Amino acid sequence: MTATAGDSLLIDQLEDIVSPRFVMRRESDLLVYNSDGLPGYRRMPRLAVFPGNREEAIRVVRTLAEHGTAFVPRGAGTGLSGGALADDVVLLGMHRLKRLISIDRENLRAVVEPGVVNLHLNRAVAPLGLLYAPDPSSEAACTIGGNIAENAGGPHCLKYGVTLNHVIAMTVILPDGEIITLGNPEGEDAGYDLRGAFIGSEGCFGIALDITVKLTRKPAAVRTMLADFTSVDDAARVTSTIIASGIVPAALEFMDAPTIQVVESSVYAAGYPADAAAVLLIEVDGIAEGVDADRDTVRELCLAGGARNVKVAQNDAERARLWQGRKKAFGAMGRMAPHLVVQDAVIPRTKLAEVLRRIREIADANRVVVCNVFHAGDGNLHPNIPYNADNPDEAERVHRSMGEIMRACVDAGGSITGEHGVGLDKIGYIELIFAPDSLDAMCRLRDVFDPDRRANPGKVVPIHSCQEWRATPAARAS
Amino acid sequence: MTAVAEGTDTIRELVDDAARSATPLRIAGRSHWIDAGRPVDATRIASLAAHTGVVDYVPGDLTITVRSGTTLKEIEDITRAEGQWLPVDPFGAKNGTIGATIATGSFGPLASSFGRMRDLVLGIEFITGHGKIVRGGGRVVKNVAGFDLVRLITGSWGTLGIVTEVTLRLYSLPSNTLTLALGVADTVTALQQRINATLQAPGIPFAVELIDSSLSTKIGIASKQQLLVRLGGNDATVNAQRAAIESLGGAREIDPPTWDRLRVIEDSLDQSSIVVRLSCIPQRIAEVWSEARSVLDEINGSLMHATPALGIIRCILPGNTQVESVDRLVHLRANPTVIFERLPHDVWERLSPSVIGDRISQRVKNAFDPLGILNPGILGRVS
Repeated sequence: MTATAGDSLLIDQLEDIVSPRFVMRRESDLLVYNSDGLPGYRRMPRLAVFPGNREEAIRVVRTLAEHGTAFVPRGAGTGLSGGALADDVVLLGMHRLKRLISIDRENLRAVVEPGVVNLHLNRAVAPLGLLYAPDPSSEAACTIGGNIAENAGGPHCLKYGVTLNHVIAMTVILPDGEIITLGNPEGEDAGYDLRGAFIGSEGCFGIALDITVKLTRKPAAVRTMLADFTSVDDAARVTSTIIASGIVPAALEFMDAPTIQVVESSVYAAGYPADAAAVLLIEVDGIAEGVDADRDTVRELCLAGGARNVKVAQNDAERARLWQGRKKAFGAMGRMAPHLVVQDAVIPRTKLAEVLRRIREIADANRVVVCNVFHAGDGNLHPNIPYNADNPDEAERVHRSMGEIMRACVDAGGSITGEHGVGLDKIGYIELIFAPDSLDAMCRLRDVFDPDRRANPGKVVPIHSCQEWRATPAARAS
Repeated sequence: MTAVAEGTDTIRELVDDAARSATPLRIAGRSHWIDAGRPVDATRIASLAAHTGVVDYVPGDLTITVRSGTTLKEIEDITRAEGQWLPVDPFGAKNGTIGATIATGSFGPLASSFGRMRDLVLGIEFITGHGKIVRGGGRVVKNVAGFDLVRLITGSWGTLGIVTEVTLRLYSLPSNTLTLALGVADTVTALQQRINATLQAPGIPFAVELIDSSLSTKIGIASKQQLLVRLGGNDATVNAQRAAIESLGGAREIDPPTWDRLRVIEDSLDQSSIVVRLSCIPQRIAEVWSEARSVLDEINGSLMHATPALGIIRCILPGNTQVESVDRLVHLRANPTVIFERLPHDVWERLSPSVIGDRISQRVKNAFDPLGILNPGILGRVS
């Protein structure tokens, strides 16, 4: 359902703030906002509003608060959990706030608006010999604000940490319109780590207006390798061996045969051996002398663990090509079928071989093809299934497989999401890993920031988990 | 009165009892740092000293799950046997507990390369002031499921819940380590240049710590202020880093236990000592150091050290320091952020009445401990 007559006052006020051009209410205009990077879900916003600067964003949030209207913040809409979908509520797009406010080379930090695209920040700091470490595969489109909402990761988070580890402070507007600072850009922060609590809150706690991020010096030397295996088990075991060896690779990525084949038959072909059962893309970085030693150790561990061949990129062009196949693998899967389920789960790294075997069994039993392409070094799996959603039987088998894969990961001691967030897609799984009292504690934390529960309603924690806690006798007495 | 509880359910019963009678609890590990923070208005101590032991340790996963009363020394011994370590070096004896380290968010020089405590905790179990057992995070190294209770509880000083179990991220012990000491000039410009040159040398040192002349003398390195540089990694890395640092001039190798001596230096001091942390953006560290230096020069028995990469200076003053001197430290011209670790009880109210007085912190406290029975007062007044 789109905007109704009852919304006319709200629409007038929003149009006054951002101009009519940036308030969308017609179904034809809103259609592009009815899904995110995960095409399996469609939700139509009631209307969409796109503030053009900080002042407008503040006024929009305060106007929504005055009307008691629920809203869903959105960056570039590249999320993979349905988190940025607005189901008959207001969609608040922040992508026009894309000012790079400052870069401080000496103190290794930058201040950005939430709509700044991840890769644009990296391009801006690269000439200074710096980088912003979190590098989700959607880096060319996704925004820093969205990265904060999801606590985004990426291949290089194995060594450098996720978004949480790279945010120093934020100015945030709460759903009720109050503006607060989380973290301290000028030094240490005392009291509760509200900055940490806010990052990864999936748009349920408020909206960041500016963000002070930590920058990292580019490593002096990088060595990128591709190890190919004739056995998935061997590749999984070598992953565990490398991690246990004490080397912390900058990245350690895994791709299985279906993924390799689809990448190699696409425009993103990266020169992966098409007959391999699995490849590992491994990168080590640091100072030249040290990385050469690590490269040699990794190569020996791979060969001793059953790798057929270990190819070392000889220059930047070769390195970029090896990475292209990995970064564009999801896109390449578009060749296989019209739809794709992208899954995200984490398991202990010693359980990789066992869980990959289990995933294969589940795929076979349900007659689906699983393409595994993931951050093996973190144990962060991405089992993806290309399929045709218009075929109800196939859709049902895909859905069943995903549920079974999720349970297998949880049974192995894992988590239901490592970097994509819970959003809409995982909300049915969260009770697999958290007991009611833990979920209720999360509801309480949400209520601290948004007591009216107007920000991104219906996401992350199921409503039925948000019971009032049974008060203690003393609490009842007081 | 002290109640020693072992087992999550027993601890929960203890909280339930306290909640029934609205009795405030002072939460304690091994009570080593019991005098840190603001005075707590509680006569009943809930001790977790007996709540110890490893719950799960799979070396291949580089994670360990322990009960919160386990000491840092025990964790060090268990992990070292597998060639691993928890790179956490808060100031104080190693027989402090991991629960206290996490609750207070304590960290030491290693934080500049391995992150602070909050970056190393993967999962947490705690008991709220309602007596609910709550878990956040998990046992895997990457996890964004649900809202982040791990970050919320780490550094909350026991005011939101009693930490009962934690899962931690471990690292492999480096095959080679080395510590260098460098002399540093006194002038602000020269000091900042020296710090920058050290931090920007190729490779990332495990730790870089600036220590003043008194501290330097006390731990037996030199009689002048020094930069200590801790290197770790494979042989090739450490050798290359060493060559780079040595090329700056005036570097010499010192014995690694120096770091342990630095860590426990306060334990040998008067228990009533005052500890104040000053922090700023990293490029102003020399300026703040120099101003603080001029205040401390007039206080006998004072010590000072800094973690330049984090922009943090730690000043340790004898318990009998005049309040006027503390005031001068708090009001430096460079205007650093000031955080107090230890103060005489009667001074807290004037210098730092609360760090949780804002609306959001008050609501957090009220959501997790509505009766206010967990460590009341330690972070200041709630409202």
